[in-house]
Amino acid sequence: MSTGIQEPQKPKPSATPIDILNNDTAKIYTHIHPILVLSLYAYKFQSIVAEPVPALSESLIWLGILQIAYAAICLPPTGGSAAPVEKKKPGEKKRAAPSKIESGVNGKIIPAFLSLVVSVAPATPLLAGILVLFGAPITTHHAHTLLCAAHISLLTTLPLVYVHGVNGETWREIIALLRPIDEVYGCMIGTVFGAWLGAVPIPLDWDREWQKWPVTIVTGAYIGFAVGKLVGGTVLKGKKIMFD
Amino acid sequence: MSVSAKVPQWPYLTIANLLIPVAVLVFATGFFPYKPFMPGLATYEEADMPDSLGQAQPPAIFDKVVFMVVDALRSDFVFGEESGMEYVQSLIRSGAALPFTAHATSPTITMPRVKAITTGSIPSFLDVILNFAESDTSSTLATQDTWLAQLKAKEGGKLVMYGDDTWLKLFPGFFARADGTSSFFVSDFTEVDNNVTRHVPEELLNSDWNALIMHYLGLDHIGHKTGPKGPEMIPKQKEMDGIVRQIFEAIENEDHLENTLFVLCGDHGMNEGGNHGGSSPGETSPALVFMSPRLQNVFGANRESPTKASGEFEYYKKVEQSDIVPTLAGLLGFPVPRNNLGVFIADFLPLWEQDYDRLRLLQQNVNQVQKIVEATYPKYQWGASVGESIDCDGDLTVGQHLACRWQSIVKAASDATSKDFAHVTRSYYEFLYDAQAIMSTTASNYDVSKLFLGSSLAFASLVMAWCSLDKFGPITATGIFYTLTLALYGVLMFASSYVEEEHNFWYWVTSGWFCYLFISSSRKEWLPWFIFHPAVTLLILHRIIRRWNQTGQKYAGADDIVHSPLLCGSSSILLWSLVGAAYMDVTIRISRHVGRSISSADEDKQRKGGAGQDDNDADFESTDVNRFIGTLATLPLGATAFVFKLAFTSHDAPELTQGISPGLLAWVDALDLVGMARMVFGGLGVSLSWLVFAEWRRARNRKRTVAGNGDLALTTFDLLTLLLLTQTKAQNIPLYLLFRLQTFFLSLLSLSPTSLSLTTTLLSQTAFFALGNSNAISSISLSNSYNGVASYNISAVGLLLFLSNWAGPVYWALAGTVLLGAHGGVGGERRGFDTSELDERDWVVQERERLVGIREREVEEEGRRGEWGVWRQWVALATMGVAGGLVGVMAACTVLRTHLFVWSVFSPKFLFAVAWSVAHHLGVVVGLGSLVWWVGMW
Repeated sequence: MSTGIQEPQKPKPSATPIDILNNDTAKIYTHIHPILVLSLYAYKFQSIVAEPVPALSESLIWLGILQIAYAAICLPPTGGSAAPVEKKKPGEKKRAAPSKIESGVNGKIIPAFLSLVVSVAPATPLLAGILVLFGAPITTHHAHTLLCAAHISLLTTLPLVYVHGVNGETWREIIALLRPIDEVYGCMIGTVFGAWLGAVPIPLDWDREWQKWPVTIVTGAYIGFAVGKLVGGTVLKGKKIMFD
Repeated sequence: MSVSAKVPQWPYLTIANLLIPVAVLVFATGFFPYKPFMPGLATYEEADMPDSLGQAQPPAIFDKVVFMVVDALRSDFVFGEESGMEYVQSLIRSGAALPFTAHATSPTITMPRVKAITTGSIPSFLDVILNFAESDTSSTLATQDTWLAQLKAKEGGKLVMYGDDTWLKLFPGFFARADGTSSFFVSDFTEVDNNVTRHVPEELLNSDWNALIMHYLGLDHIGHKTGPKGPEMIPKQKEMDGIVRQIFEAIENEDHLENTLFVLCGDHGMNEGGNHGGSSPGETSPALVFMSPRLQNVFGANRESPTKASGEFEYYKKVEQSDIVPTLAGLLGFPVPRNNLGVFIADFLPLWEQDYDRLRLLQQNVNQVQKIVEATYPKYQWGASVGESIDCDGDLTVGQHLACRWQSIVKAASDATSKDFAHVTRSYYEFLYDAQAIMSTTASNYDVSKLFLGSSLAFASLVMAWCSLDKFGPITATGIFYTLTLALYGVLMFASSYVEEEHNFWYWVTSGWFCYLFISSSRKEWLPWFIFHPAVTLLILHRIIRRWNQTGQKYAGADDIVHSPLLCGSSSILLWSLVGAAYMDVTIRISRHVGRSISSADEDKQRKGGAGQDDNDADFESTDVNRFIGTLATLPLGATAFVFKLAFTSHDAPELTQGISPGLLAWVDALDLVGMARMVFGGLGVSLSWLVFAEWRRARNRKRTVAGNGDLALTTFDLLTLLLLTQTKAQNIPLYLLFRLQTFFLSLLSLSPTSLSLTTTLLSQTAFFALGNSNAISSISLSNSYNGVASYNISAVGLLLFLSNWAGPVYWALAGTVLLGAHGGVGGERRGFDTSELDERDWVVQERERLVGIREREVEEEGRRGEWGVWRQWVALATMGVAGGLVGVMAACTVLRTHLFVWSVFSPKFLFAVAWSVAHHLGVVVGLGSLVWWVGMW
């Protein structure tokens, strides 16, 4: 999407950019993470081209682990903002909340894992629907499209759900591109934009195996993720997207 | 909004638009150089050669020719193992038939091919345009040297022609007897051929002709309808085989046909989809068979048939299609036509026993080709004696290369005393083949300076259009989107696959744009049911529209909605329900306009009656009555248009009317199509005249200060929609329902003029491709261009041809105009809301607020209407888009002029770009659009 970018004019009190956690591990890992994600994709690329469905399913697990690690290590969980935690799984939340141990697995990994469930479950079918609206095959390649959507949802919604929760108003702002840009938001915009651009090489007559659905889309999404994360976390951090 | 602009913008815009046709014309003259041809008939006297071979003319082997063209007769249809032409194969085995694969150059459509077969020249790409403008006298071959002209000029020469009327158009007044068949309905597999076959027996008994030409169309029609593997294909081949048998047996048995040569050939082939026009192996490989009992005596039985192709569709020896011409000249004994680039087929040389005769034949061919070469490369030595010799080693230009070949001919001929005929023959053929190869590629003929000039002019037009824009402050996201779209489009024009698959670009950008519209409007307000957000609905509709027709090259045969069981075959009743709904929708709209015009006429009367009271009451009372009268008046028009579509489709595409009851079909089949189409056009004309008249009276009576509501613009748009429906294939008509829905949802979005301009451009392009068009010549549909036309009329057919292929873009150009001015409330019932939904108070309040907001926007939009400044901005943006596209296409054609695909991909794209910029942009967007904008101000 082509947009002008300017300094925020009327920042809402709640809409502040997300900073990564202020510790060394987080600061280091946040730079390692996109490299790991891209390496994973590059490593799996041959098999994704050869057999998209099994390879994408397998790399989906690894991507999930990487994204959970990223969220747990680098990102502040959703409690940090004013938005209340949704009561999706009250039993687990209660168990997680009282044990406020900084280094505890419960405080980090479980919310991240919950974010995974909460984001992937509704987001994948929704994104698959959007992919179809954008031209994905509707009568064939269902597994391909769903897996593609799952990859995009892991790249985009998992960190966002981890930091913002599932507050409706926040998500409206996210979709309407009203929130200030930060690392996580940059990931989402980059991934979606990259996936859209990923459709461009498909009609070319190069007759390469990798031109088939949905390899280019997933590739675009991964590259867009890394670029968006880098740009969103550095030069554009805190800025807001302005239309017109 | 144009106050800030100091510069006068109208002149810039005018110049920008005037530059477009100039740029196109300049570029076209450089890109398609008009090849000068040599006028007059060739004679034997010209054949003066530098030799001592004697001047005696070699004897003619035959004195008559039966030339049987079977349209789209691909090589494997005759020679392959699955062929139905067993008799021809038996002749090949016996040696009585000499088989070849005749390479046809692109464009593989009938008229250029017939030109190649008769003149021996390689028709320029211009002939493609002329193929559609068939009546153009400059494209006839009446004045050119052809084997027909040569045979006619012979003593007692008399030509007879049956079949495709392309021949009659190309050779007006040539034939003593003729019966032309036009390939009007592609669904006609039998009549077109029976029309030829019924003349065969009597003509075989006549002894007065020396050339009998037949051109069968049925096989091509079957290809277009069901592809090369369709169930009708083998029976048709057997039918053709039977005709060959009939003719060959007559030649064997009838005394007056004793010296008759029988040629069977295809004009072009077909691809796996059954279409042609491009340069795939299937399309460029028609069969060519020379048959005579006399050949058997010379060649004997030494060929296998059926056989396997050596290359793709390459059976036996491969020759050029133009080689037919000098070969016929030799066999029938007439001078080789002047513009011929063909080479006498060497296999026939054994028919002459004397070496002198053989050499003499080739010599005439060489001599004639040399004249063309000399005219093209005048600076080299083409004399009959060895002059200053050229250094023939090292790197040579093509001209030098040919000059070297010529030099070796002259040397070999001067040594003819040594009687080394093989050596001379070899040097002749070397020259002929090289000349043919070099002269048929036009790469060297581009006028590069004109190409650059044309591109620069298009660029100037782009700059001018940009200058004429209103400059307003900050760069908007819409502006960036517009610019990026244009830039990316220009870049993609350099990729041949993106030219072939251009629809993908527009579908992709449009999806992105609707997504942007969704985000953009979500920033302002969030609808509780975002799934039903207008932009999302637009995207859903877009997704259906893009799947309607599969287009392009790569996946041309892939599944789409039109060919799905949803609409085809027995469920065509669903298709016709949708078609009926589309007609109903537009009829109701028109009837509303008519009803309103009647009520305004009533108002008029009352005012004249001097009643003096408020006439609103009377208006109110008579509304229902007027609507009823309006419906009554419009219904016949809508019904006629619908019945015409049904009748036309049952002729043109009977597979689409299978679900309709046979009784009804029998009734519509009996109707006169030309008359019906004329009734529809006439009805539209009458309706338009009446509505313009009524609106004009209403506008005259209105107080000066009260602005019109733009009803007439909407009226014009709705009448035009009915015209477009008439010009659209039945299976595409439901698309107009979707377009109408998109128009409605666009009106809900209340877009800014710039956004609306971009949206219109995107949807115009989408509609063009969604209706099944592509950038290939073969995708141009001729089927609706003869609606209501009884005899060929270039301007009428041209207009109808444009309307039937650009129907979608024309619809959107006007829809955009009407949306821009919010004429007559395009959104229809957008101010009404269903009271059943008003059970929650919140909802009511919200809805009120929303409606108030909409009303405010409406007021703003109404302010736009009637302002020429807004219209100028609109045209400027459209001009920028078109000029930008032209720059891209021209630059690509210039840079890639030596590309392998220049004739199959880039040249057609240029022709399409010309149609887009001149006919669509200047004619419709600017011309018709201005008219609608103007009447909207009444």
